[in-house]
Amino acid sequence: MKKSQEVKKSLAEILELPKDIILDIPKITMLGNLQIYIENHKGIIEYTNNRIRINTKSGALRIIGKNLLLKNIVLEEIVIVGEIQQVEFTD
Amino acid sequence: MLILKLWNYFRGYVIIRIEGLSLEKFINMCIARDIYLWDIRRINYTTLEAKIGIKGYKAVRRLTRKAGCKMYISEKNGYPFWFSKMKKRKMLIVGAFFSLSLLLVLSSFVFVIEVNGNESISTEKIVNTLESSGFKIGVNRYTVNLREIENNLLIDIDELAWVGIEINGIHAKVEVVEKIVPPPKIEKDIPCDVVAKKNGVIEKVIARNGDALVEKGDIVSEGDLLITGIVEREGMERPLYLHAYGEVYAKTYYEASKTVDLVEIEKVKTGAKYTRRIIKIGDLELALSKGDNPYEVFIIEKTSKKPIEWRNKGLPVEIITEEIYEAIEIEEKLDIEKTKNLLHETLVEDLLQEIPKELEILNSNTEFIINDNTLHSSVIIEVLEDIAQQKKLQIEED
Repeated sequence: MKKSQEVKKSLAEILELPKDIILDIPKITMLGNLQIYIENHKGIIEYTNNRIRINTKSGALRIIGKNLLLKNIVLEEIVIVGEIQQVEFTD
Repeated sequence: MLILKLWNYFRGYVIIRIEGLSLEKFINMCIARDIYLWDIRRINYTTLEAKIGIKGYKAVRRLTRKAGCKMYISEKNGYPFWFSKMKKRKMLIVGAFFSLSLLLVLSSFVFVIEVNGNESISTEKIVNTLESSGFKIGVNRYTVNLREIENNLLIDIDELAWVGIEINGIHAKVEVVEKIVPPPKIEKDIPCDVVAKKNGVIEKVIARNGDALVEKGDIVSEGDLLITGIVEREGMERPLYLHAYGEVYAKTYYEASKTVDLVEIEKVKTGAKYTRRIIKIGDLELALSKGDNPYEVFIIEKTSKKPIEWRNKGLPVEIITEEIYEAIEIEEKLDIEKTKNLLHETLVEDLLQEIPKELEILNSNTEFIINDNTLHSSVIIEVLEDIAQQKKLQIEED
């Protein structure tokens, strides 16, 4: 498993392919502290007004802020709006 | 995303409240089953609020049992719900439809007729003539043929040169142009005299037909006989009646005078200001500010604002802001030479408008009289003018 990841990573680097597709890792776009856009997620672990945890291939993504709202949620992407204070990956 | 919101509105959506302990699990299940949720909000630890489409709602009901949650609808939104609500209130739709059609029908009638461009013909006459040819207040705009009515009006009122009717909503605008009537002409075989059109001193008489009665230097006044059509010669039993015509050139005088004050009172603002607002609805004026004008000598500057402009007519509502400045009067003596020139210029300008352009100006005379504080000026312009005018002979039958 670990080995295949390494191979894919180097392959992506050599061929200059987008890593988020090859490695199936999330692509996170932030719009200031107002909006965060996560592609390639693996479901929600926790959701409250102040804390959202999202499962991804790179580990759990924890978003801490105020008045967080799940604007949009589909299989591939999540849009969260609100006052975002912290974004971090936890294991 | 407006387009998305509109789409959701037309598809219809419900706001649901989900209660349970494993709400995240519920969301993940929704995602996995491709049920679209949006605007998900955590109310408290056990409650979640979200928006969901109608189709998704039906699918979600089965899911709630699996996830161990309870679900309530807190609000129904969108076009399908609105439509079903409207179905129950049929009279409302009927009423709306009825009032709309009433508006459409009523707006096809002419309610106001406005006549523009007439000077000597009275508006009443034009309106009455229009009425007799079928165009009056209350007529349906689609039943009348405007071109035909325009033509009828032209036929009925001889003095009109052109008529244009334009209908703007309920407003009919009738534009007319009047004919400039030429002076009545006397047929060549009808005996006539030539008389003076205005006062003057005769300069030249060219009698093309008839006997000249005046000669150079004669002073004539309006209506005086210049060339007679009754020719009497010795040895003739009866006088001969002729169609007299000819040109009679005379010096005529155009005169204008004016008096102006040499002392001008000028108002100068002192700086103190008082503002008041007035709202004007139609002819009714309502003061919005308290108090009256506190100054004895003042300058008023008015600015009016129409809050709603609609088809450049606007509603008859106006907000007028009056700024009243306190002022003091300052007497100022005007420069005499300057005033003279100015006065002369205005008088000459006035006169030149009066004098037909083709006439030759022979002479002009300006006089100034200064009294205490006033300047009086009179300008006389002498021109050479044809004063001949034909007048039908009154023949007494013996």
